[in-house]
Amino acid sequence: MLKIAVGHSNDPDSLEAAQEVLEQCNQDLAGQAPQVGLLLTAFDFEHSIILEQINATFPDLQLIGGTTDGELSSVLEFQQDSVTLMLLASDEVEFQTGVARHVSQNPVELTRQAVVNAQAQLSSDPKFCIAIPESLTASGDDILQGLQTALGATVPILGGATADQAEMKCTYQFFNQEVLQDAVPFLLVGGNVVFSYGVASGWTPIGKRSQITKADKNTIYEIDGKPALDFYHYYINNFVPSAAYPLAVFPAGEDRFFLRGSLTHDPEIGSITVSGDIPTDATVQITEASLDAIISASKAALTDALKHYPGKQPDAALFFSCSWRRYILGTRTKEEYQEISTSLDSNLPICGFYTFGELAPLRDGGPTVFHNTTFTTLLLGTP
Amino acid sequence: MTSTDAETTIRQLQKQNRILAKQLKRSEADRAKLEDFNRDKESILKRIICELQESQSVLEKKGQDLEQTLHELTLTQSKLVEAEKMAALGALVAGVAHEINTPIGTSITLASTLGDETKDLVKAMAQGSLKRSRFQNYLKVAQNCAALLFINLDRAGQLVQSFKQVAVDQSSLEQRTFLVKPYLMEIITSLSPHFKNTYHQIDLVGDDTITLNSYPGAIAQIVTNLVTNSLTHAYGDGDHGHITLEVCAKEHYILLRYKDDGGGISEQNLSKIFEPFFTTARNRGGTGLGLHIIYNLVTQNLQGQISVSSQPDQGTQFDIKLPVHLKKN
Repeated sequence: MLKIAVGHSNDPDSLEAAQEVLEQCNQDLAGQAPQVGLLLTAFDFEHSIILEQINATFPDLQLIGGTTDGELSSVLEFQQDSVTLMLLASDEVEFQTGVARHVSQNPVELTRQAVVNAQAQLSSDPKFCIAIPESLTASGDDILQGLQTALGATVPILGGATADQAEMKCTYQFFNQEVLQDAVPFLLVGGNVVFSYGVASGWTPIGKRSQITKADKNTIYEIDGKPALDFYHYYINNFVPSAAYPLAVFPAGEDRFFLRGSLTHDPEIGSITVSGDIPTDATVQITEASLDAIISASKAALTDALKHYPGKQPDAALFFSCSWRRYILGTRTKEEYQEISTSLDSNLPICGFYTFGELAPLRDGGPTVFHNTTFTTLLLGTP
Repeated sequence: MTSTDAETTIRQLQKQNRILAKQLKRSEADRAKLEDFNRDKESILKRIICELQESQSVLEKKGQDLEQTLHELTLTQSKLVEAEKMAALGALVAGVAHEINTPIGTSITLASTLGDETKDLVKAMAQGSLKRSRFQNYLKVAQNCAALLFINLDRAGQLVQSFKQVAVDQSSLEQRTFLVKPYLMEIITSLSPHFKNTYHQIDLVGDDTITLNSYPGAIAQIVTNLVTNSLTHAYGDGDHGHITLEVCAKEHYILLRYKDDGGGISEQNLSKIFEPFFTTARNRGGTGLGLHIIYNLVTQNLQGQISVSSQPDQGTQFDIKLPVHLKKN
């Protein structure tokens, strides 16, 4: 049995918002003590006040979370400048949180070590991991490598990178009562739990598939032996590379792709710096999408997750949607949630946020990939 | 309302107020971003408009240049067409001059012979040594010379007449009613110098009585160009070519069928032969205008149609359909 509560407040006052959220959660829990919580808030709040309030209400709660670019829940659907909290209680599902601090110093090793430490607290092997990593100080791919090395290639990692409402200056992560920067809080889930996930973007690769011939981390210097910018300009004239036309990246030998949006470019040498690392020997294609296709992707991701869900009915859903989708969709952002709400039980607790990068495997059993511009769905429950 | 209710309502209103204030702040921030975004877009748009205007000016200039070039090309083309016509006329003149030379030369010899005989006769008369037999001999020579002179000058006259008709028609393109086959015969006669020193043969078949009210000069030009083309392109040295020109009256038109049994035209070239300046013999002085002129004369001046069929080594056939009556332009 898995008991899940969700609270969501759009009150800009940190204390009032925290109290409202806790009040809603308490009603859902009906006296049951939660073991773990996921807190997602806008950047502007006084986060320490919110964490104090939660700790005062649930002193034994393990909590992870972070700042976002927009919040989603089954209570208030899509909001900006709000606080949402999901609490989970179960006597058969095992939860263990952990945190890697100062990850920019050594993202792979510090993250790996933090997971190893957390795993030692679990009585069973983790089935999956939810991570809310820092997005601006360290490479998302390095963080992922650390997590994956400790967990093994077959344990999926899902989640999203913390955000700061498009300022790209600093983001916060939450771990129990602490407000952190440069950290990776995560939750390992084991025991009698079932889950499934789905990823979709709405972008479609078009044009010729070309070989990355020179790249370093997240900077692409050459595609097919020519400056990377030439490749972009061939398709979209002399427009500046933008997130609206991300690159579909196919790792070597893989027919599924993940997306990389352009962050900056250097017109002198013709390089493009993208939102995540590019694997060696990858091939790329330009992509395009309509607003309708982007909105439909949320349903596609949910449908995929529902199709593969091993239990009868999920007990909760978590959504991680890319902040670029929100910028591109503008006032239509709310339609992403509306598109999927009709396919789900109206009582299903849902929580999620707009991220600076999503984590999910490309396929079942495959390693987790750091995505951009996707809508990622995680369904969980007991068998 | 109790004081508790009032407090609850005030709290709710305060919350609403905070939310609205936050939303207003967010909207203001979003609006500022949108304004920045719009300014960026506007500057991009302005740049694009400037570039478009520049492109438009360049295109306009290029358009004017193209128009000028086209105008010059049209002038050059018509000059070339005219030059080709004059070249055909020139060839005709040379051929006819050569042809006339023979009877005229013969006539000069005959006149000289007659003059010499007369001079000897006058001398004998003055000396009183003129005998009857000699006078009779002189009369015989004089009669023969006169007869031969008549034949040769008549031949020269015929040649001049036919050339005059063809040349005048070719240069003036005057519309008149004429018998088609006899006229074609005149053209063939005027072209006969081209057949000298070759083994080629040209036959004219068809009804002698077919008449046409049209431009005979255009027809002369067409036949001259077709024959010249066959002689230049269809046959090699020593070939025994056979050209047939046939005229027959159909229900609504006159069919002029021109056929040679030469080397034919490849499929690749066949579709281009009426295009101006298309030639396979530029190195031999071909202008590529002969068949183009034919096409224009048939379709415009004569208001007819021309089609061609040919295969390599199977000869070439042109079918020219001419309306019996021309529409007035």
